[in-house]
Amino acid sequence: MADQPREGELPTFVRVLFPPVAIAPAGLLLTHCVRTLARRQPNLFDRLGEWRSARYLVAPSDLAFAFIVVPDGEKSIVHVVGKNSPGSVDVAITGPLLTLLGLLDGTLDGDALFFHRIISISGRTEAILALRNTIEDAELRPADFFGLHGIVARLADAGILNGLSVVRWLIAGRAHATGKL
Amino acid sequence: MTGTRMELVCPAGTPAALRAAVSAGADAIYCGFRDETNARNFPGLNFSAAELAEGVRFAHAHGARVLVAINTFAQTGRVGQWRKAVDEAAGCGADAVIAADLAVLDHVAKNHTGLRLHLSVQAAAATPEAIGFYVETFGVRRVVLPRILSVQEIAALNRSIDVETEAFVFGGLCVMVEGRCHLSSYATGRSPNLSGVCSPPEMVSYDEDEEGTAARLAGFTIDRYAPGQPTGYPTLCKGRFTAGEKTSYLFEDPVSLNAGNLISSLKAAGVTALKIEGRQRGKRYVTEVVRAFRKAVDAVEAGSDAGEIDRILSGMSEGGRQTAGAYRKTWR
Repeated sequence: MADQPREGELPTFVRVLFPPVAIAPAGLLLTHCVRTLARRQPNLFDRLGEWRSARYLVAPSDLAFAFIVVPDGEKSIVHVVGKNSPGSVDVAITGPLLTLLGLLDGTLDGDALFFHRIISISGRTEAILALRNTIEDAELRPADFFGLHGIVARLADAGILNGLSVVRWLIAGRAHATGKL
Repeated sequence: MTGTRMELVCPAGTPAALRAAVSAGADAIYCGFRDETNARNFPGLNFSAAELAEGVRFAHAHGARVLVAINTFAQTGRVGQWRKAVDEAAGCGADAVIAADLAVLDHVAKNHTGLRLHLSVQAAAATPEAIGFYVETFGVRRVVLPRILSVQEIAALNRSIDVETEAFVFGGLCVMVEGRCHLSSYATGRSPNLSGVCSPPEMVSYDEDEEGTAARLAGFTIDRYAPGQPTGYPTLCKGRFTAGEKTSYLFEDPVSLNAGNLISSLKAAGVTALKIEGRQRGKRYVTEVVRAFRKAVDAVEAGSDAGEIDRILSGMSEGGRQTAGAYRKTWR
């Protein structure tokens, strides 16, 4: 049963396709994206207050790797780490990848997901609240991470968000077909 | 007051939530400053003065009002911070201040005569005598009712007073004498009534083991949840304790208020405004709950019933369970 994806999770083969070692360079790209965002929206990180320097472990339950994020504005850092060796963190957030992405763009309600145990959180509760409220107010769109503007940004947002919706729909359909709902 | 259209008062913990509430159909939005002057003083939440001013502009442009909660009790030697918050709210163009502290109420009454004054639920005013005092002394225009009254009691109260009343209809449910509860202070050393946060998050932890999750406050285990069981934020009043060899929710079950099906009853009881709790909740919650209540209130005002509001909102409740609370005192 441990190998079977739970509700909302990506198919199991995705873990095999993307081992931590192969995906490690993505940390550099993600660090660049978050720093680009900070340059364009310098006030975005103010709500974090003292928790800008906190280490957040974001661990998608359907991937073989996790992310360590330090959301410190233009000094932000994103590392890709193995799930079993994240090191010391202030907060750990776990849930299906598509659900976590839904929190980032405000598609989903983090509190409802937490209360219903679809995502789990451990560590410094005040740090996760500060991050949650910061993301909530930021109203982030995918294009913000890539520094895109105008029509290109709108096309990128539409493409990525609609793509995510389709994947969520397909996964929900698969779960329904296998009686997991 | 039963002839007027009921007002829908909605929460906003961030400017984005304010815009979401306005877009979803709120008549008024309540929010607070990012400090101890309001009773939802959580990390990363609330408004700076500049954000409030912009929020007021946005709300007014869309026909909505903004009510600013300055509803904690001013601390000895620091009353100036609460007065400053009032002055800033007025400067930002707020439509009303929601307050409970006598010094704050007095400051508004004496220095901002054009600013509406709403009595916060933190004042726990539930009798004609108490409400009469606030109305006569400070010119309070509306009273937010404590969540301990039945609909019949609200109707009787409204017949005895000459001031607007506002009743909670959805969200976190407090059954204590609000503004006077010391449970959180006892456990954490921080007072929700003075510093604005019940169960401060820096003292909250969720600890997982093979048996499930333990929700703790300042080291006290408030409740345990089996794997997969819906959980909630650990407040002492909703904790599970053993007393007299029996383990139970001693004070109240961890359920959320949903009075969506009582809107017409509250209207008949003379309630002016319906309040949705949840400034600490996100945009998605604000959008869904406000949209559902907008539809329900409009339906009631048009003479229909509130529809399937319970089903629509079942997923938005903390703990995953809902109650009509004291509005239906079935335990009597």
